[in-house]
Amino acid sequence: MTLRLADLSACFDGVIPSIIATAAADGTPNVSYLSHVVRVDDDHVALSNQFFAKTAANIRANPLVTLILVDCFTGEEYLLDVRFVRSLDSGPLFEGIARHLAASSAQIGMANVMKLKSADIFRVEAIGMIPSPLVPTRSETGKPIIGLTALAAAVRSIERQEDMGAVIEQLLQNVRHLLDCRHAQILAPDTTGGSLITIGSLGYDNSGIGSEVASNEGLIGLAVSSGKIAKVSDMSRFRRFGDAIKATDGGDEDRSRNITRPSFDGARSQIAIPLLTNNEVVAVLLTESERPAAFGADEEAALEMLAASAARAMRGAESLAASARQEPAPDHAVATPCATDSDVIRVVHHRFDDSVFVDDAYVVKGIAGAILRQMLEWYRDQRRIDFSNRELRLALAARMPDFKDNLETRLLLLRRRLDEKETSLRLAKTGRGQLRLLVPDLASVEMRHD
Amino acid sequence: MMLDDTIVAFLHRPLMCILAGSDASGRPAAGRGIGVMVSDDRETLGIILSAWHYSALANAVAQTGKLAATFVSPCDYVTYQFKGRTHLREAGPADLARAETFIADATASLSALGVPRGIIPQWMTTRDARVAMLAVAECYVQTPGPHAGMRADAANGAPTL
Repeated sequence: MTLRLADLSACFDGVIPSIIATAAADGTPNVSYLSHVVRVDDDHVALSNQFFAKTAANIRANPLVTLILVDCFTGEEYLLDVRFVRSLDSGPLFEGIARHLAASSAQIGMANVMKLKSADIFRVEAIGMIPSPLVPTRSETGKPIIGLTALAAAVRSIERQEDMGAVIEQLLQNVRHLLDCRHAQILAPDTTGGSLITIGSLGYDNSGIGSEVASNEGLIGLAVSSGKIAKVSDMSRFRRFGDAIKATDGGDEDRSRNITRPSFDGARSQIAIPLLTNNEVVAVLLTESERPAAFGADEEAALEMLAASAARAMRGAESLAASARQEPAPDHAVATPCATDSDVIRVVHHRFDDSVFVDDAYVVKGIAGAILRQMLEWYRDQRRIDFSNRELRLALAARMPDFKDNLETRLLLLRRRLDEKETSLRLAKTGRGQLRLLVPDLASVEMRHD
Repeated sequence: MMLDDTIVAFLHRPLMCILAGSDASGRPAAGRGIGVMVSDDRETLGIILSAWHYSALANAVAQTGKLAATFVSPCDYVTYQFKGRTHLREAGPADLARAETFIADATASLSALGVPRGIIPQWMTTRDARVAMLAVAECYVQTPGPHAGMRADAANGAPTL
């Protein structure tokens, strides 16, 4: 049987390092490991040109090169006779390889240090299988097969949702059931700064709702900046570095106003998928697995379809809420089951970042903080507990010129943070584009602005 | 060249070994090693490989006598590459015993790092074992970092004899 590069897909995830053998003009051989081999087409592979100087010099002196690639599931090895063709330092192929490398480097905080300068293209002249001492058996990294029927059902289940929270939940549940991934999170860009905020998560010890990540950081940052999928197939090689980075994270959120990011220590594979509408990133789905190389071509395609349907549904939920007619507010307030120790709820609002504390507990900041502040002021001054998206949008647009049309996402974040912090205040949806601030026994609110 | 104490100690750690030769046409060949022994005078390495597993490599080495061998310690990525002239000989019982130990150590080291234990034997077998007697002419550091690519005697600060 003639082997093709397409048959070697399990060799290109970088889980088991490849081997590159070169020879100088005088025939002196050289051998080293190689972390990135990229399949270009049926006849070419690309290598990130981050070789030791000797390898690079040998390739220029003698274009004949031999590679050993390893199937990360079975351990089977393939011998490739390749010939150097040319170097690339720009164009879509170069950018794709650069993004692939940056995804790995970003996990160890070395995205800039390991920036790709060029990539070398090789024509594949022969592929052979190295004899196997074993009957190949797939390792325990075997992945579930994604059926088209199940995928179609998953897409439909997302697109049926009209509420932002339901869209997020449905997307996470489908990732869980369709791909058998127990850890995932969804982040939305914060329109006021260079960060993304966690608006939904699945499977972590702490939900991390409201936690932030810089929009130029790690896989998530790559997905945002490129608008394309970014993934790492084996994080274990970077584990020590990751642990060191994580040790500086977190802390007391009531003091720092920084919520600890949800993290899965056992992750071997990570993939970040941008949710796009009209080429704009409206959110990023980060999915993690304890399996190495968990996200191959099929998983990528499935996640891309789920993400696309979620992006459409999110945009739809936003539009529906925005276009909802403002209904008359009920003429009476409804007491809620939330308990409070006193008749007064103490709220502190910090102007510089719109962070809001309720009874000394940090709740939220940014646009979501501004929303909470607005509702609390209306409640304090007008004793109103029912509000519409429309009036909130108008009020915030006047205050925040760069406020964009993604109020539903912020309301979802705010609602979840209030629930999670178990504050005396809660937020409930009462209809399309309508919401109610739940205040126990209609207690007084004492607001202080710093 | 005579290998210094740092390198000799390194070669007794759990390691993985990759090898390259080149044939008469200049085409490089690649494979893996399954054991290493240091001669008493520290100038020659006995590197064990399977001629059944990596036949192109064994043929190229037999043809030209040129060999490069890179050893890496999987747990910390410390890596050295050795180059020189070599000749192949049949492996004896002591060599095979040495190879079994090398394979067992490497397997334990890799599986501790999360490589599935079931796939590791794909890369190391003693079938049709040979020993490449490498007269070390050059030794380079390949550990990622500031010394990568340097001659080992310069990087380790030891005089070369």
